[in-house]
Amino acid sequence: MDSPGPRTESEISFVVNGEQKTVHAYPMERLLDVLRQQLQLTGTKEGCGEGECGSCSVLMDGILVNSCLVPVLQAEGSRVVTIEGIAAGESLHAVQQAFLECGGAQCGICTPGMILAACHLLNEKTEPTLEEIREGLSGNLCRCTGYSQIVQAVAEAARRRRTTA
Amino acid sequence: MGIAAFLHGAGFTGSGERYLNSVVGVEGCADGSVRVLVSSTEFGQGTNTVLSQIAAEALGLPYENVTMAQPDTSEVPNSGPTVASRTVMVVGKLVQSAALGIKQTLISSGLLHENYSADEFIAACRRYVAEHGQFRCWSRYEAPSDIFWDDEKYRGEAYAAFAWAIYVAEVTVDLTTYSVTVDDFVALQEVGKVLHPLLARGQIIGGIAQAIGFSLYEKVVWQNGRMQNNQMTNYIMPTASDLPPIRVFFEELGNVYGAYGAKGIGELPMDGPAPAIVNAVEDALGVRFDSIPLLPEDIMNGLNKDDLTRDGLTVTTENGVGSARGVR
Repeated sequence: MDSPGPRTESEISFVVNGEQKTVHAYPMERLLDVLRQQLQLTGTKEGCGEGECGSCSVLMDGILVNSCLVPVLQAEGSRVVTIEGIAAGESLHAVQQAFLECGGAQCGICTPGMILAACHLLNEKTEPTLEEIREGLSGNLCRCTGYSQIVQAVAEAARRRRTTA
Repeated sequence: MGIAAFLHGAGFTGSGERYLNSVVGVEGCADGSVRVLVSSTEFGQGTNTVLSQIAAEALGLPYENVTMAQPDTSEVPNSGPTVASRTVMVVGKLVQSAALGIKQTLISSGLLHENYSADEFIAACRRYVAEHGQFRCWSRYEAPSDIFWDDEKYRGEAYAAFAWAIYVAEVTVDLTTYSVTVDDFVALQEVGKVLHPLLARGQIIGGIAQAIGFSLYEKVVWQNGRMQNNQMTNYIMPTASDLPPIRVFFEELGNVYGAYGAKGIGELPMDGPAPAIVNAVEDALGVRFDSIPLLPEDIMNGLNKDDLTRDGLTVTTENGVGSARGVR
């Protein structure tokens, strides 16, 4: 079969967790694979690999995306935040701390994506209702927790942010 | 509204635990810490946390002094598989017993007195290892003398303990789309002593969520022996917005056969939601359903087949498609 042309890697630059990175990757490689394999940021998990479960969620220019559906070329020039960029050094983000205290994580596969979805939601809405939290997290599937303690954790993080702001 | 009252046996059925003959080890380490040796595997349910708690409690030590060995069979004994709602009750009881072995050994060797502090334990444990080398105590399962299952006659006590529960589901049936929404869910269970309330609650809520999924959404379609809908796009599981708040309550009556009175918890919450939800749908529509998942098309067919006019519920048929108005 004729090949449309030689497969060539491109030089792609973007900011990951505040650091400028340049990778050599095929343009249609998944952002997920580049993050995990080239940049060794294995906190981002692959769940379904078809954009349904949200476990590979990362923030790209502040927007929540499924990194399994993003060709790395699209990340050129963008600012990407993964779960590794959420905590400030040793000090956990309010959402992470609330997940810990409320029992928001069980097996942990959905957790990094769920926390990014929660951060995204709290960036959009300062006082989300429980219904808005459930709606905001509905692109991220969880098989073990039944969501209640995750929803509770996000509500708790929002409450703490209001009281400390 | 629908109610389900049910039970679930903890541990292997019948003579299962007798045949498994599980062994658990607890090690007093050279640095004075304690390590639990079991083949039970942590996959988010909290096994490592709760077994460490049990060992710490038995030894009167802070939780932080206990670690778990990796469940690699070159390192740990065969304490049986991580199944059957048995880990906390059966394996946990053995951890408790093996940990007491460590304590008794240190006391009988004169290195420790009865009312010791954590620091005294650490010092005694270090000295024991320095003098005698590797320090491990083992505990093997022994069937309780009053629990017996007869494999010949198939009679007797099938389980050493049962967890009991009553679950209540409140649902809305949309009479245009025939979809069912669970609006509220209350789960009351007696699971013996709850050793870690947050994790126990998480196990219960998670199990109920899975069971709501298989009650209302998750249909496996087979074709030529293979699952036809093996993608998340066509095998639909509930999202956060599909589920109600799940309200969890515990009764704690205890259990003499489990670690510190615990019973099994893992499987119990899978049993009750489907009957509670199907009963709630029957209560709303007056039509009995006897299979799950209960999909909108099943409800539509059930309403069409049944007597179309009933008390408080008027069902009309247009172009072969039934629609119903009013809620009983």
